[in-house]
Amino acid sequence: METRYTTIEGKSKGYQILIGFLGAMVGILIISFMVLYFEGQQVWGNSNVIPWGQLITLDIYFIGLSAGAIIISSLCYVFKREEYKPIGRLAVFLGLLLMMGAMLSVLMDLGRPEKFWRLFMYFYLNNMTSLFAVNGIFYTGYILLMLVYLWLILENRMAQAAIVGTVDVLWAIAVHMGTGAIFGLIGNREILFSPIKPFEFLAAALSSGTALIILALAVTYTFTRRKIEPALIVSLGKLLSMIIVVLSVMVFVDKATHMYFPNREGTVYLFTGNYWWLFWVFQIGMGILIPLALLVYPRTGRTVRGVVLASLFVVLGVLGERAALVIPGTAHPQPIYPGHIEGIWGAPGIFFITPWETLLTLGVVSFVGLFFVLGLKYLEILPEQG
Amino acid sequence: MAKWGMVIDLDKCVGCQACTVACWEENNIPHGSAEDQRRRREIHWNKVISVSRGQYPNCNIELIPTPCMHCEQAPCVTVCPAKATYRRDDGIVVQNFRRCIGCRYCMVACPYNARSFNYRDQPEEAYHRLDPPPDRESWDPWPFPHRTRGVVEKCTFCFHRIDRGIKEKKNIGVEVVPACVEVCPSQARTFGDLDNPESQVSQLLKSRTIFRLREELGTKPKVVYLPR
Repeated sequence: METRYTTIEGKSKGYQILIGFLGAMVGILIISFMVLYFEGQQVWGNSNVIPWGQLITLDIYFIGLSAGAIIISSLCYVFKREEYKPIGRLAVFLGLLLMMGAMLSVLMDLGRPEKFWRLFMYFYLNNMTSLFAVNGIFYTGYILLMLVYLWLILENRMAQAAIVGTVDVLWAIAVHMGTGAIFGLIGNREILFSPIKPFEFLAAALSSGTALIILALAVTYTFTRRKIEPALIVSLGKLLSMIIVVLSVMVFVDKATHMYFPNREGTVYLFTGNYWWLFWVFQIGMGILIPLALLVYPRTGRTVRGVVLASLFVVLGVLGERAALVIPGTAHPQPIYPGHIEGIWGAPGIFFITPWETLLTLGVVSFVGLFFVLGLKYLEILPEQG
Repeated sequence: MAKWGMVIDLDKCVGCQACTVACWEENNIPHGSAEDQRRRREIHWNKVISVSRGQYPNCNIELIPTPCMHCEQAPCVTVCPAKATYRRDDGIVVQNFRRCIGCRYCMVACPYNARSFNYRDQPEEAYHRLDPPPDRESWDPWPFPHRTRGVVEKCTFCFHRIDRGIKEKKNIGVEVVPACVEVCPSQARTFGDLDNPESQVSQLLKSRTIFRLREELGTKPKVVYLPR
């Protein structure tokens, strides 16, 4: 059966209120950026101990969501599975927007975005041994590929979309593994350092990306009064449960390797230090255990409501997972000299939640939301009737 | 080409922090506010950490002065995407403020916490020293750069002194040394050419057991310690 796509009318009061709210949040994004630009990062919560904060967490989270969404879109456009047709355009469009959101957050994080061009002076003014520079190539190519991919599927040029889609999926894998390598290759910080980190990032990207597609499908279909096909949601739920199992194996192997050898101070800090809850409550509880239980238990795993709830937990849990890497990863004091380092140099860092940084983070999320909602009105993303 | 390095004798260090203060003065490091201290955003190019072992009465405290290690295999140089941090031919790892894009990757990658970020533009009075040296007028602009917010900075081995000393054909390591070495009251620090077997640093390295911080990481620091 041919799936036809359409735009939404976008004339309802609810739609206009949503656009107004997201637009206002983007306004707040601009204001909080101006405050950052003129005041410097003193208005944020990071410090010399924890140099990266909310924006970098959001950046790697969005890159993961985007890579996950693009990989999921391959079910439809590369593997030609008819039952996944309703999510195809949604996944590619979300993938593009999320990557743009990620780039926006990293640009904001620099604090002086007018300087970022140097990152893109490949092999000339930048340093290609830096993973930031290498990822610069990945990210630029990825956005270009997604633009072409989206254009081809909107034009219904399926043969070409399959080719570009294949390249884009492979590229998305490289993008997110490269992002994982930014952290995984930092040999001096135990919580970050891990050869498995790129693969763990990929698994987290797939789980959060799939969960986001399920959530986006459920929310947009409910609000546009489309009928959700339970079989589609349940099959995505099954896929999600398998990905979560893979992710949990990755996390277990990573942490077990670090715990096995007596040199395990950093991992013990992650488990029991002042940010224990990021790891146990978000990463393990909300990212793995609760959704897995919901998906495996037949009474919830085979219902739309159960799968959507599990997806909500995954989306929040993986956000916590990213925070559990960025914040405790640097908050743990480095063992510069054997023994107990006295005073501030030996104390774990504390990350402050500050209003301007939080508003900026919410603003970037709203920016993605605004373009998503506008996209539904002007681009043929959703199927005519689900 | 010389390879500049520093030897710190922990037997002589008394933990007075004169090196830290001299570094602030020499390099015009903004002293920061109480809020900066509380939020751990104060700028440090040099610090003396104290490390304790055991419990009273059977305990021991060691004082470890830690400038930038100017590693031969510096992770900060490897990770900097903008070539803002680079190694000069003489081995000194320096930071170019104009190139720095403020990504702070170097701070994450530095195994010695040697780097600080400028979280704000400093007020004018935070820079001006009460006792500028008499020859300040004749100096290059370097020792008194006004940083802008959003760049990372760190110890430079006082390269401005070394460069000027070489130009004036002075004996580096004897007549010209970094500020921290010059002020150390117990002469715990020695500076010089690690490649020259006749230099004082090379002689010291041959005289005693030596160690470097976090040697297992393979960063090959050019700051070498003589244990107590």
